[in-house]
Amino acid sequence: MFGYVEPDKPELKIRDFELFRGYYCGVCKSMGKRYGQLSRFSLTYDLAFLAVLLDSTNNENYNVKIERCIAHPIRKKRCVVRDNRFVDYAADMNIILAYYNLKDKWSDEKNPLGAIGAAGLRRAFRKAAKRHRDKADKIKSLLDELFRLEKEKCASIDEAAEPFANIMREVFQCPYVEGENKLKVLGWLGYNIGKWIYILDAWDDMEKDIRKGSYNAILAQFQYDGGSLDEFKARIKERLNFSLTYSLSECEKAYALLGSVKSTGVLDNIFYSGFIVKTDKVLQGRCRKNEKESV
Amino acid sequence: MKKNPYKVLGVKEGASYDEIKKAYRELVKKYHPDRYRNNPLADLAEEKMREINEAYEYLMKNAGGAYQYQSESYDYDNGSASQGSSYRTQYQSQQSAQYQARQEYADEFELERQVRAHINAGNLNEAQRILDRMRVRNATWYYLQGLIFLRRGWYDRGYSNIQRAVNMDPTNYEYRNMLNSLNNQYYGYRQNPYYRNVYRTDYDMCQICGTLWCMDSCCECMGGDFIRCC
Repeated sequence: MFGYVEPDKPELKIRDFELFRGYYCGVCKSMGKRYGQLSRFSLTYDLAFLAVLLDSTNNENYNVKIERCIAHPIRKKRCVVRDNRFVDYAADMNIILAYYNLKDKWSDEKNPLGAIGAAGLRRAFRKAAKRHRDKADKIKSLLDELFRLEKEKCASIDEAAEPFANIMREVFQCPYVEGENKLKVLGWLGYNIGKWIYILDAWDDMEKDIRKGSYNAILAQFQYDGGSLDEFKARIKERLNFSLTYSLSECEKAYALLGSVKSTGVLDNIFYSGFIVKTDKVLQGRCRKNEKESV
Repeated sequence: MKKNPYKVLGVKEGASYDEIKKAYRELVKKYHPDRYRNNPLADLAEEKMREINEAYEYLMKNAGGAYQYQSESYDYDNGSASQGSSYRTQYQSQQSAQYQARQEYADEFELERQVRAHINAGNLNEAQRILDRMRVRNATWYYLQGLIFLRRGWYDRGYSNIQRAVNMDPTNYEYRNMLNSLNNQYYGYRQNPYYRNVYRTDYDMCQICGTLWCMDSCCECMGGDFIRCC
């Protein structure tokens, strides 16, 4: 369900791109160090973005080290953001979300990869959940809500997206961020990003869900009757485009109020351009799952 | 004054009058109350706006921009200060007009007034509860339902409810205004300057061939050749 948040690369300054990658590698290495090397396979872009966003709320200097990466032995050394509590937090959240995601794959689609992955991540998950007990509990109960709605074949994308949006609200409200107002802003930002991810993902999965006959919120709300998928898509595209873009505009408004003091180059790029580019790509069907490459 | 006014406006210290004014305009656009209507963060935006207005007025009164602008800025001063406050008075009068309209309704529809009050205060569950109790499903009902959905973040339903209210009562200014504002936010975000400035047109074959042909011709004019065969 992840991997949609990414910068609009052609418009990014090299310096900003290096910074973003630094956070990405930072989250990855933080997971490797604290949860074992296996856990590093579960990393997604979205959590790197979370680390950048959370860290932008304070004025501390970047703690950057130049290191090699075990996954890319022949590549040159790269910048990595190290020893940063927000990077560690993003790593913890990545473990928790990835574990639930894999478990869901197993129980939902009977995908054996899900079972293997979840088994591999179980120890890491326990450790991360111990660090953030209340977050893990809330995410769990929201996921149960999500599954319940899916089982009932909920016929409204707004309602179906609600639990996932609330999960993202929880994830974005990082306890290390100081200030009530900032947490409120981050919560609303997370909620809307979650909404956006859920709808985008449902759109992306439509073909697969028709083939497998599984639940999909968009198919359920607009009563897909088994006709041509392209026609169906054309009919509902504008309406979903509104929901998606409106969620993004709410994210942008929240971002304006967050008052980020650093990394604004890459954050501006994501909020004002990266999101729109991704939305259009997915809506036009140019983005299949395998196109989500890593840095 | 708690914060450095230059920092609030995001300009260098000793910035010229024009720079300050430009920065101020940009910020007003960014944090304008209209943009944060029906948004749970509206109070924070308002606070930010107040901060910006204070900083602007302070700078206009005291610093007045860079040194050489001083005499000039004095003239501008009154104009700009009144302009700064005019943004606010306009907003206030708008609000009070809305408020008065609300007052008139109040005698007729006590429930509707309550719903609006709850929505404004952010008590969405309470607003929904009262709304569910109302028997008449007229345009107002759909409008209020739409507002609640939007505030919750249920944009798809919110939009269709507002649209329905407009269809049922096309003459109502408030409903149409809300629908327009939703569409404006949509286009406004997609047309933001960061995104729009980017050169996004794709190259097609014609353009590439045309460019190559032009380049070849130019080279030949200068006595060289870019493509040998033509």
